[in-house]
Amino acid sequence: MKWNKTYQIVLQNEGFPPEWIESAISYSQLKKCIKRLTKELRQMGLDPPTLDKLLKHVEDYNASTTSHLNDRPFEYILSDGTGSKKTFQPKLLFYVDEATGGLHGAKFDAETSEKLQMLAVETGVSDVKIYEVCEPEEPEPTDSPRSDDMVTANPSVRPGYRIVEIPLTSDTEFFTTLARQLSGLEALESREERRMQGEIEDLGKQIARLTDPDRKANKKVLAAWRQIFQLYVEEDIFFGATERDHSARDAAKATFRFHEFCTKIAELGLVDKVRKKEGAQALNMFMQINRELLQGLRFGEINRTAMSKILKKFDKRTALGVKSTVPSTISYPQFSQDLAKAVCAEVNTQILSHVPQLDDYSCPMCMDLKWRPVKLQCGHTFCIRCLIVMQTNKQDRCPLCREITVVGANSDNLDEELANFLKKWFPEEVKAKQKYNELMAGVDAYGEVYKDKCSVM
Amino acid sequence: MAALPKRIIKETERLTKEPVPGISAVPHDDNLRYFDVTIDGPSQSPYEGGLFKLELFLPDDYPMTPPKVRFLTKIYHPNIDRLGRICLDVLKSNWSPALQIRTILLSIQALLGAPNPDDPLANDVAQTWKENQEQAISTAKEWTAKYATRDTNPTS
Repeated sequence: MKWNKTYQIVLQNEGFPPEWIESAISYSQLKKCIKRLTKELRQMGLDPPTLDKLLKHVEDYNASTTSHLNDRPFEYILSDGTGSKKTFQPKLLFYVDEATGGLHGAKFDAETSEKLQMLAVETGVSDVKIYEVCEPEEPEPTDSPRSDDMVTANPSVRPGYRIVEIPLTSDTEFFTTLARQLSGLEALESREERRMQGEIEDLGKQIARLTDPDRKANKKVLAAWRQIFQLYVEEDIFFGATERDHSARDAAKATFRFHEFCTKIAELGLVDKVRKKEGAQALNMFMQINRELLQGLRFGEINRTAMSKILKKFDKRTALGVKSTVPSTISYPQFSQDLAKAVCAEVNTQILSHVPQLDDYSCPMCMDLKWRPVKLQCGHTFCIRCLIVMQTNKQDRCPLCREITVVGANSDNLDEELANFLKKWFPEEVKAKQKYNELMAGVDAYGEVYKDKCSVM
Repeated sequence: MAALPKRIIKETERLTKEPVPGISAVPHDDNLRYFDVTIDGPSQSPYEGGLFKLELFLPDDYPMTPPKVRFLTKIYHPNIDRLGRICLDVLKSNWSPALQIRTILLSIQALLGAPNPDDPLANDVAQTWKENQEQAISTAKEWTAKYATRDTNPTS
């Protein structure tokens, strides 16, 4: 199947909002521009093989010398770099020897030279003697409106040579269209981002209310939400977070991971555990935001492919080599990637942060909850149990900074503020750790036997 | 046997889920404190291309005391002796209970990339290393090719 057709089908069937489909890169429209441009170039005798040879020559020339900008026989310029970044005036520049009508410094095979001679003749080069001022004729009548097209260009005027400039009308159309569509996509992205930000903010408030540990009714759902968010973070749905893999995920991978996450939540019965109408609603909303983001990723990917395909086609048909020289002003907006980044950041700060995770409050030694938290003089906090063991072992240095702060720690170092926070947010975990600490204190006092006795209870 | 402390469970989970590049550590089924370890020789070192097997054991009072680590693959290195014992500060006096299996194995990998003949464990190797470094490096390469091969030294 032709790619264009596949593209249309994907756009229709992925369930993208109509507004998105309208903003998608219109592959067929751009294809028509290329067709017209090819025709335009052909009329000048610049069919792809000829242009290819010319450009190859320039490339070889560039490779063989450091003074790039001088002595080029031929140039393809996409934008004059003066106007606003969205204007394009693609043109071809030839440096023509006044005496011979041949191209400066160029050595071509007979066929190409002949074509260029023709071009020179047709453009009236050989009639004009002075290079600064000239009034060249139209290359040939075309259907496009062209007046005063052929002017001596300002860049790098060379004595003895005339500069012939050929503007490419259809090419202008191509890049103007493409640039317009790209900025349309950009605008769409920021609109989507704002909309999703709103959604996330609302959901964040809802989650904050649902998990507020001061409200008694929330006690049970807090653990469920914590587990949901922990699974969500661990699944690394949109971005890798490991030493091996920091990269952004493509749509297929992200979709797969999202499904994994949904399956896990269902398997653990967490959907029922968030209970009540409001909780289920919030969870649905959370899933919805993620699904929208996945859709955004897919939309971005298909558009990026469309853009890369159309540029490839452009080069194949015209041999102008834009794919490698295409200016950054019309580079593809990182539509979905940026959106994913922004939305994930929002999800983190607005939603996930409402429910503290155990890992952020675990002791670096036992990796269990930091209960009771003891803050050493160096500022590092550990659980009291680990520090008691260290003191017993006469290990004096802070495990994190090696300062001699363990030895002097006493009840003044108890971090009451953190203790209250932990009691509030991790009531179950605090209870369990408290029990464990007491058990271990008993073992310290009475020996291992204490443990056995205790486990009978 | 006493229940496995939460810390060891957590470390093992993370080692499996998020392995360190070039390092693997897999606990034995019948003794979860005993790990089979492999370390890739660091690139641009004489050990490049080699796969080194080690054993790692977490003593009862881990993490208050450091893990016990030993090379099983023969290696020519000034800080590793014939029995595979490793001279590395963080495995001894500079151990901290906040260090982990993964950080220790990274330190060992780094030690392969930066031998320290001034603090030797294998005296003969260290001496050669100091007197004729070219010779020492070439021997290290030879040993790597001979003993640290992937086929005869499978990851288990």
